[in-house]
Amino acid sequence: MKIKIRKKYLFFVLAFSSAIIAAVVSGIDTIAGKEIGDPWALSLSCFILALLVSLLFGLILSIPVKNKSIGSKTIDPTFKRLRFIKKQELKYHLLAGFGNAAMTIGYFSLFPLSNYDPSVVLPFAQIAILYLVIAESITEKDTPTLIEIQSSVIVTFGAILGSISLSGEINLLTFIIVFLVINPGWMIFSFYQRKLKLMKIDDRINDSINIRVWNVVFALLFTGLIVLIYDLFSGGNYFYDGLIASIKQFGWMALIALGTFFSFVFYIRALGIGKASVTQAVKASVIVFSIPVTIVLSYFGYASFTADPVLLLIKTMGIILMILGIASFALTLTKAYVFIKMKTGYSIENTMKDIWKIKGVNRVTAVAGEYDFIVKIHTRTLIKGYERILKKMEEIPAIKEYKWQSVLREWEDI
Amino acid sequence: MQPGRTDKAINEMRKIECIAKISVVAGEYDIVVRAQVKSLDKLLKVTDEIQMIPGVSKTTTQVIEKEITS
Repeated sequence: MKIKIRKKYLFFVLAFSSAIIAAVVSGIDTIAGKEIGDPWALSLSCFILALLVSLLFGLILSIPVKNKSIGSKTIDPTFKRLRFIKKQELKYHLLAGFGNAAMTIGYFSLFPLSNYDPSVVLPFAQIAILYLVIAESITEKDTPTLIEIQSSVIVTFGAILGSISLSGEINLLTFIIVFLVINPGWMIFSFYQRKLKLMKIDDRINDSINIRVWNVVFALLFTGLIVLIYDLFSGGNYFYDGLIASIKQFGWMALIALGTFFSFVFYIRALGIGKASVTQAVKASVIVFSIPVTIVLSYFGYASFTADPVLLLIKTMGIILMILGIASFALTLTKAYVFIKMKTGYSIENTMKDIWKIKGVNRVTAVAGEYDFIVKIHTRTLIKGYERILKKMEEIPAIKEYKWQSVLREWEDI
Repeated sequence: MQPGRTDKAINEMRKIECIAKISVVAGEYDIVVRAQVKSLDKLLKVTDEIQMIPGVSKTTTQVIEKEITS
């Protein structure tokens, strides 16, 4: 039987599930990082196994059971079967693949610099939230509001505080990797994965499983290329080391690939519901989940966890800030339907386009029946909804009358 | 909707297969339901099922012709 849950909850279920799996995977990353040592070889090996696992699971999830694939019934209702990439997806996949390759190499390079503590490494990737807010404000129709910017800043500072290094050392290389490699990589990756998720393929919403599989293909291509170029300039043998590590550390790397596959499938689905910056902000909860992972790792001697009360207090403050930021994201979104009747003598197509141009309009549907259009609105406050949306709608000459219906609660298929 | 029966009616609607989204709204209507069906026959079945739910006093159906979404 299908389960319908509230849309807001679905978004959080997906983003938190992704964060929990990512935290566990970060623990395995730490072990693999210590076993393999070199971040170049580790990144390449990671994507080789990721491709194998993604293809294997993609095929398993494509198996049809009672007219629907296993993947459609269990993970993503929009998934039909594994398919070849479409021409319109190529540009976005190339960019997202490059972003993934860059951030993975950067991420693994941080492990030795952070004394193999995932609760220190993971938060650094959350600065991507700020990058995403800036990118969205420049390019997207749905410009971030003040509340979104405030919440993003709170979450980011929370993440930075939560990541306080146990040694207190500040390393220039770490900052370069964090600000110029990992976070720009994350931003490109999230931004274009969301574009892919919102794309329609053969009149269906694009599914997260195919997006993930193809992202791994392109990320592997770019990682291989980057490692080969690095080999040429450094005289190293990291490409070969990566291939060997895939065989020697097959168990750990396959586990990483498996966890990453599900973590990213849930993340991509969440990207289809919320903005990239908001999704990333909720996923920043990975920091909280990575703390027990670090404790377990330190118990087995793979990492060290501080007992210093001052550092623990700062970490706790960071986590509280993050939770507050995420909560304010969640609680301030207002949605509404506007039912519109239009005058005769105007073009439906052009009126649709005029309505679509209004900021905050999430969906315009032309319908047959009592009304001519049903418009879905997303706004942070009702005042903004009136000032930014209704006033603009009243300016469209084709609109005869409209009815505003504020959404109080919402459920949708999981 | 008849007053006081909304919660039970929503629980019944959540069991209907083709319903993709249920929104409780404030205004002239009480609930907006989005259904995805393959044929008008199926749409009739869904509407019928909704109308059979105790508490539902009136329904109006709008068929989607075109959609722009982000």
